[in-house]
Amino acid sequence: MALLEARDITKIYRLGRVDVPALRGVDLDVEQGEYMAIMGPSGSGKSTLMHILGCLDSATDGSYRLGGTDVGTLRGRELAKVRNQKVGFVFQTFNLMPRLTVEENVALPLQYRGGYTRRERRQRARTLLERLGMSHRVGHRPEELSGGERQRVAIARALVGEPAILLVDEPTGNLDSKSGAEVLETFREVHAAGDTIVLVTHDPNVAEEANRIVHIADGRVAA
Amino acid sequence: MNFLEALLVGLDEARRHLGQTVLSLLGLVLGTGSIVTVLALFGGQTKQTEAFIIEQGGFGAIIVYDREESLQPTAMELASRRLTYRDAAYLKERATMLRGVAPGYFGRHDYRYGRVDFEGDVIGTTPDYAMINAIFTMTGRYISDLDVQRQARVMVLGWAYADSLFEGRADRAVGKIVNLGGKNYTVVGVMEREEFYWAPWSGNALAYRNRRAYIPITTAFSQYTGENDRLDFLTLKAITPTGGPAAEAQVRQMMLSMHGVEDFDIRPLGQRSADDAQFFMMFNIIFLIVGIISLFAGGVVIANILLASVAERVREFGTRMALGASGLQVFVQVIAQVSVIAVFGGLLGLGLGTALTGAVAHFMSQPAAVTGAMAAVALGTSLSVGAVAGFYPAFRAARMSPVEALRYG
Repeated sequence: MALLEARDITKIYRLGRVDVPALRGVDLDVEQGEYMAIMGPSGSGKSTLMHILGCLDSATDGSYRLGGTDVGTLRGRELAKVRNQKVGFVFQTFNLMPRLTVEENVALPLQYRGGYTRRERRQRARTLLERLGMSHRVGHRPEELSGGERQRVAIARALVGEPAILLVDEPTGNLDSKSGAEVLETFREVHAAGDTIVLVTHDPNVAEEANRIVHIADGRVAA
Repeated sequence: MNFLEALLVGLDEARRHLGQTVLSLLGLVLGTGSIVTVLALFGGQTKQTEAFIIEQGGFGAIIVYDREESLQPTAMELASRRLTYRDAAYLKERATMLRGVAPGYFGRHDYRYGRVDFEGDVIGTTPDYAMINAIFTMTGRYISDLDVQRQARVMVLGWAYADSLFEGRADRAVGKIVNLGGKNYTVVGVMEREEFYWAPWSGNALAYRNRRAYIPITTAFSQYTGENDRLDFLTLKAITPTGGPAAEAQVRQMMLSMHGVEDFDIRPLGQRSADDAQFFMMFNIIFLIVGIISLFAGGVVIANILLASVAERVREFGTRMALGASGLQVFVQVIAQVSVIAVFGGLLGLGLGTALTGAVAHFMSQPAAVTGAMAAVALGTSLSVGAVAGFYPAFRAARMSPVEALRYG
């Protein structure tokens, strides 16, 4: 059984009286340890798909299993729990908390999970930052970091809860080419360590990093 | 994320928006400060009133007057003999809820001693009057039962009259003969000086008690009313300080059976003068209005700041939700932010109120003090205002869809 199984995922946005289909029946499997890229032009539905895969949104129709759990039927609080435990997000704009230190930012998902002492959270955050070569920045605020460093902090934050899957949205979109290359190198390392990555991009150079590329067009899997 | 951490985040938010925080704090501080002050002053005045009542004879002292005659009196009303000495005798003998009954005659007569001559109040009564009104002699004695029996021509002078008649030597009054309305009386006693001040600027509220003389009620009847035993008032005292209402009920019942009609009014002795009460009420209302307006303004400012701060942080909440924060956790975070402001505002307001109360108490000589209960009310109010003001913004933040929040801006 695949780690991620999406079947006939449909998403319809209701804009006033008009129904706008964003996804028209997407089937997708992601295996444990896979590094997959979802590609498509803007408006193709790839972001919608990522939101559903990341449990930020629920599908209008279809079934979705993540790590053996049927998450398609979950709402609100349960969905928040799944996001916290099984999904690690990396955003294009990093989305770090400006007033928290690097270490506090990384520890945030554990804070929402509960059951960890402050010390344990700190310890885990530091371990990850060290692994990503950011241990010299633990006490800094995001504004004191370069773009590439910020994205690496965001990756650390996504990994800290040991999620089943890492969902990455245009990770290099806001970076210069050198920082972008560094970030992609980081993903390569993370993947080599056994993590499963699903990356959404419209940049073929980024998509090439992945083992498998899935193209989305008009709300359907193209190839 | 537990509440303590949410609180720390709230504190951080409050610090980051310092200007807005100070504004909303100001509203809360003024509001709770005013409320604390009003409560403390209310408390002080209640204490004052209590002291005044005790000074005038304590709880359970009752006074009965003739009710004003109606314009078209009924046959029953016309038949009634009104308040008489017989009512007093009947109550004294039969009323089980009373421990003192003192009938009263009130008149104004000429006082003369040597070259001093003035018109003044005269109270005709019985020995119980001193007990009921908690008045005491400074020298000599009060009216005795024997005086009443014999219709003795004796008088007990109020302190001010003794002072005037004997030109500052009230202590020498006993044994002297004073002419009252053309009749000579032997002074048998002088009362202590009675005083009570509501505030330094108000005069002696009990001054009237110093300006009178007491004579036996029977003497008053024989000398001034032509043997008519109509009373001007009747003072009574319940057996216990809390027995006032029960005693009043019994007296009403018994007098109704005597008169056949309710042509009398019964009320507790020692109510505060209306002017004084009005002054303080106005004072309190002004403070209370200031308090409510300030709290309201503080609440509006808080709600506004929170709404702005929520709008500003939509993406942050979206990110937090993506990391696993539930709606409830976001709600708690926003509420925690307002709690920080509300708690600080409440505490500062409590401090301000205490200081204000101290100042008022000092400059106006009021026995006002902030109690634990008042502090609790003030903090509770501040927190409630915060909660009400914070609820909507927090609710809005919590209800946001993570996707829309992330796309925002």
